[in-house]
Amino acid sequence: MEQEERKDKRDRKVEPMVHLIVFKLGSEEYGIRIEQVKEVTVTPEVARMPKTPKFIKGIANIRGDIIAIMDLEERFHIRLPDDAISLGNYKNTYTLTLEASDYTIGLIVREMPQSLTIPISQIDKTPAFIQDLNINENFIEGIGKINGRLIIVLDILRILTSDELQQLRVLS
Amino acid sequence: MKSREEEYKEIFIGEALEYYDALNRHISDLEKNPENDSLLAEIFRLLHNMKANAKAIGYIHISELSHKLETAFELIRNKKLAFADEAVTILFDGIDLLGELINNLDQEDYQAQDENIIRNLDIIVQTGESGNKPGDKAVEVAKGPKYLNSKNIQLSDLIYIQIKKLDHLLNLVGELIIDRDRIISISKELDHPDLTSVSSHLYRLTEDLQFSVMDARLVTIGSLFNKFPRIVRDIAVAEKKEIHLDITGQDIQIDRNILQIITDSLLHIMRNAISHGIEPAEVREAAGKPAVGNISLSAQSDRDMVQIKLSDDGKGIDLNDVRRGIVQKGYLPAEAANELRDSEVLSYIFEPGFSLAKQITEVSGRGVGLDVVKNAIDSIGGRIRIDSEKGKGTTFTLHLPTSIAVKGALLFEVDSSFYAIPLMHTDSVVALDKDELHEIGGLLVADIKNETITVISLNEFLTADEKTMNLGSKAKLQGVVQNIIIVTYNNRKLGLIVDKLFRQQDIVVKALNKPVDIIEIYGGVTLLGSGKVCLVLDVPALTRYFLTKK
Repeated sequence: MEQEERKDKRDRKVEPMVHLIVFKLGSEEYGIRIEQVKEVTVTPEVARMPKTPKFIKGIANIRGDIIAIMDLEERFHIRLPDDAISLGNYKNTYTLTLEASDYTIGLIVREMPQSLTIPISQIDKTPAFIQDLNINENFIEGIGKINGRLIIVLDILRILTSDELQQLRVLS
Repeated sequence: MKSREEEYKEIFIGEALEYYDALNRHISDLEKNPENDSLLAEIFRLLHNMKANAKAIGYIHISELSHKLETAFELIRNKKLAFADEAVTILFDGIDLLGELINNLDQEDYQAQDENIIRNLDIIVQTGESGNKPGDKAVEVAKGPKYLNSKNIQLSDLIYIQIKKLDHLLNLVGELIIDRDRIISISKELDHPDLTSVSSHLYRLTEDLQFSVMDARLVTIGSLFNKFPRIVRDIAVAEKKEIHLDITGQDIQIDRNILQIITDSLLHIMRNAISHGIEPAEVREAAGKPAVGNISLSAQSDRDMVQIKLSDDGKGIDLNDVRRGIVQKGYLPAEAANELRDSEVLSYIFEPGFSLAKQITEVSGRGVGLDVVKNAIDSIGGRIRIDSEKGKGTTFTLHLPTSIAVKGALLFEVDSSFYAIPLMHTDSVVALDKDELHEIGGLLVADIKNETITVISLNEFLTADEKTMNLGSKAKLQGVVQNIIIVTYNNRKLGLIVDKLFRQQDIVVKALNKPVDIIEIYGGVTLLGSGKVCLVLDVPALTRYFLTKK
């Protein structure tokens, strides 16, 4: 079934492309579809918000909107490479503002995200091994491959609507 | 919505009725004290003002009558006419007629039966001027109809009220709504039909009440805009420029406090537009523009928001200069700055410190203190946007809420973060020596003004891990003197030890956005004037938290 689908797509004359915003978590590259990213900014001052899960770094004022700032490395329990700089007070980091259906949330990344366009055929959808990964609940839309790079494409809407965020309720 | 004319008319009537009351008071006093010069002077002043105001707004009847009365009183003041006998009656009638005219301004087909009174006034003025005693004509005077005296006592329909009182009212409504929401959630839990119906009625009533209070605070934007022609003229003269200012939308209504908060911001943008936006006349002409610079200031209402726009047709902002500034100031690397959309590039102008980039301000002339402007707009939950085209001009757009709920709050610091507690929940603030706190039953207890109060360290509560949290240990406290805010909820007092106490301040509480809106101990968030984010603690939830803990 899937194989066929992919073949279909390849047969088309114009190759459909996917525009991704690519950033690093740990030592791997991750991507989010550009439609889901509202903007990229230098991380503003983040005010800690006690009594929230560790992956919520706090709240920040982005152009007058107060939004929660999330750290996906913490969220996915990604081990950092030994030479990784500590996030410190988030100086020199960037924040991706993501828009879910009913709210906006910021995602902290260490390096300036890049934008990248890859053919949709180059995204390997849900191979079996993804089930075995640490990042569960099918947050991964697929694995993109381009020029020898491997990019993990995240379905951010699923991350934002997952039960894990409901953890917040228990704490209060 | 009221038109400007109607608003002016209301203000005129309000003032005129006040003058009328004062006139009645003074003329009655004068009858007893005909020699009192200061009373005469006051009557003269009131009539003079009334004449000028009425003339300005086009109520010729009132202005003419005021003029006649003024003339008569001038004669009295100059001792050419005695304030006695018929003159007293005639002048009383004249002032009554004035009141009648003012009270009937709303009636379009109203026709005052004033011939006799006017004629009588003319007679006494003539006799006063000619120096004769009123003779047989006075008999005729007495025949004038006295219909006016039968009128009822009229109180003004307008009152002046201190904004402080309206603030207080709005705060009370805010508290009422919090309690209402609790009642509604309780009624949902209990699911009792009577409770459900009364709570839904309560809901409608409070909505209505809130709306009415907010409505009472609305003023027209014209009350601010109408100050600009003069300001613009002064700045333009100082800058040696000629400016044509176009103002529209003065009738749009907005909360008076919001207008107060944006006043400085708008002035700041206006000043920038004139001194840096609009080019000198010769430069404009060379660029094929009219020598006179155009600035338009407009307001428009947009659902629950009010949109204020300030546009100039000056030199605009060079985006490439801003891009260079972004890179120079280290906000973004060069390649990222080049990829930014134009609207995003411009938004960097509001970044604090951006304005300090000397090169930028010299080239584009913008950006001085625009972060302050942005913070002011943010603090009331508004937005500001800038659009500019090089050579064509710049537009600032302010999206403002029509109403705000301001609350007094106490600001403090815990673990280097800012927090606020609404004043309605604070009882007092005390500083206690560590020795005055006692470790009892896993909590700290203090004797404050003969009351035993449970005290917790907010630092420990907010920063310690749930498992290792120890709220009853003095060892966790830093320093000797502890600043304690005593909060009350449901007649229960709780002492909160904070790291540093700041000032008391009026804040606008914004609801937290999803997904962090479900954390009960926060009532919301506010933006401080510095642009910093400050969490607002919810005292009811905080005290409940401790009740369930123990």
